[in-house]
Amino acid sequence: MDIFLSRLFAGTTSGAVYVLIALCLVMVFRSSSTINFAQGEFALFTSYVTWWLAGKGVNIWLAVVPAILIGFLMGALAERWLVRPVRKRDETAVLIVGLALFTGLNGLSGWIWGSDEKPFPRMLPTGEDTYIDIAGARLHYDTILIVAIMAAVVAGLTLFFNKTSIGLQMRAVATNPDSAALCGVRVGRVLTLSWGMSAAVGALAGPLLVPLVPPGQLGLSSMFPVLIFATAAALLGGLDSIKGAVVGGLALGIGLAMVNGYVTFLGGSMSLTSALVVIVAVLLVKPTGLFGARRLERV
Amino acid sequence: MSAVLEARDLVAGYGGLTVLREVSVSVDPSEVVVVLGANGAGKSTLLSALSGQLPLTGGQLLVDGTPVRNARPDVMLAKGVSLVPQGRGTLTGLSVMDNLRLGAVTRKDKAEVGTDIDRWFTVFPRLAERRDQVAGTLSGGEQQMLAVARAMMSRPRLLLCDEISLGLAPVVVQELFVTLAEVNRELGTALLLVEQNAELALEIASRVYLLEVGEVGASGSAESFRDDNSIRAAYLGY
Repeated sequence: MDIFLSRLFAGTTSGAVYVLIALCLVMVFRSSSTINFAQGEFALFTSYVTWWLAGKGVNIWLAVVPAILIGFLMGALAERWLVRPVRKRDETAVLIVGLALFTGLNGLSGWIWGSDEKPFPRMLPTGEDTYIDIAGARLHYDTILIVAIMAAVVAGLTLFFNKTSIGLQMRAVATNPDSAALCGVRVGRVLTLSWGMSAAVGALAGPLLVPLVPPGQLGLSSMFPVLIFATAAALLGGLDSIKGAVVGGLALGIGLAMVNGYVTFLGGSMSLTSALVVIVAVLLVKPTGLFGARRLERV
Repeated sequence: MSAVLEARDLVAGYGGLTVLREVSVSVDPSEVVVVLGANGAGKSTLLSALSGQLPLTGGQLLVDGTPVRNARPDVMLAKGVSLVPQGRGTLTGLSVMDNLRLGAVTRKDKAEVGTDIDRWFTVFPRLAERRDQVAGTLSGGEQQMLAVARAMMSRPRLLLCDEISLGLAPVVVQELFVTLAEVNRELGTALLLVEQNAELALEIASRVYLLEVGEVGASGSAESFRDDNSIRAAYLGY
């Protein structure tokens, strides 16, 4: 029982991380019907910003704030000046721009901060006795906190989408951009804002997840596996559903923890493969995911 | 007094295909105008161009006598021109309430939006019953009512209606036209109706344009069209 609980807690921790990045993917997909492959690299770049500021002696929680602002600007500018100009021409071109951003931002991060792994300051308390004992299993404080932060982000986004005018406009653009435009919604502005918000959430998620995801240090390849897991989570839940991102992310995190724990002959190194299996299976069997309305038509 | 909306020598189309060739129409304040024409005459294209959905390749739009530069849907809406597009222009994934709220996003007087929503719920009680329902689950007639109410939420001075009767039961169509006539009478909203159901449209319209393959073939008072049997036979087919 205690081993099961330990695995459940570990799975929930990584699941919460997947949820946060999956939410970013969902926000972009809802408005633009594109998967932003550069989503992880946005978060990578802003994580370096946070790390750099923390290294200058800034409290890590304060260091996240400028990183979130930079993230927002990066997302918004990328949509306005890179994605939108090519969107009119071709959907494939948007994906190519995403890949270009992916490699470009990764290269830029390496050029500025170097390619060595950076020890990353923890935002959440850790140590020998920072846990609650539940039936012999350790529920660490960082698990509780990351789930709480995830819940707060989800609640904030849900309120934003349902209670504000701009949130309503975003949902309208997600349903039908042409009809939304006829209602007077400035579709372009909504898209720019969606990309900005998405990268801002990523900028919050990055510093939280770096210490939790192996190897626990910030490196140029830190976000790539997270992006794969988050893509699998978002697809599983349905790419345009916030609820889907939450359920998909937690299901994936817990599911993989159980598979790694109990199906021992696979070994831990097969997680990424398992995530890819989930992606292919969802695309084959239920392309709309669990809660989605729209299927992914082009990848 | 200048026209609410005037189109001068509009040229527009899709890709290399020109659909409208120098079409000129105008609608005065509180006037009801109907555009009749066969399939493919360019009626829907005309409304797309007038609402700012379709970029013009020639000619110009004037609102209150002032030329409109950069005619986009949000710009035209801000100037008081609202479109009920063909095939129910509702946002099918959103609730009835959200559709109505969305219709008012360009308005500054947020306090009165609620009053307007209540008014449209009185006009269309069936929408009130289904206020939390997702628009896509409404019947065709209810969706068209919602499309009209949604378009009216911006308090337009001119409502463009594209084939509002298409695919609806005659009773529902009758009901919608009564509502449109009331909107025109009580709120003073001008109407530009594109219709295949010529008989009903002629009943509430005061002026008519006949569109023939992208050009205005004839225009005149609705009365003369109703009474002139040869025009009826030639253009309207009944």
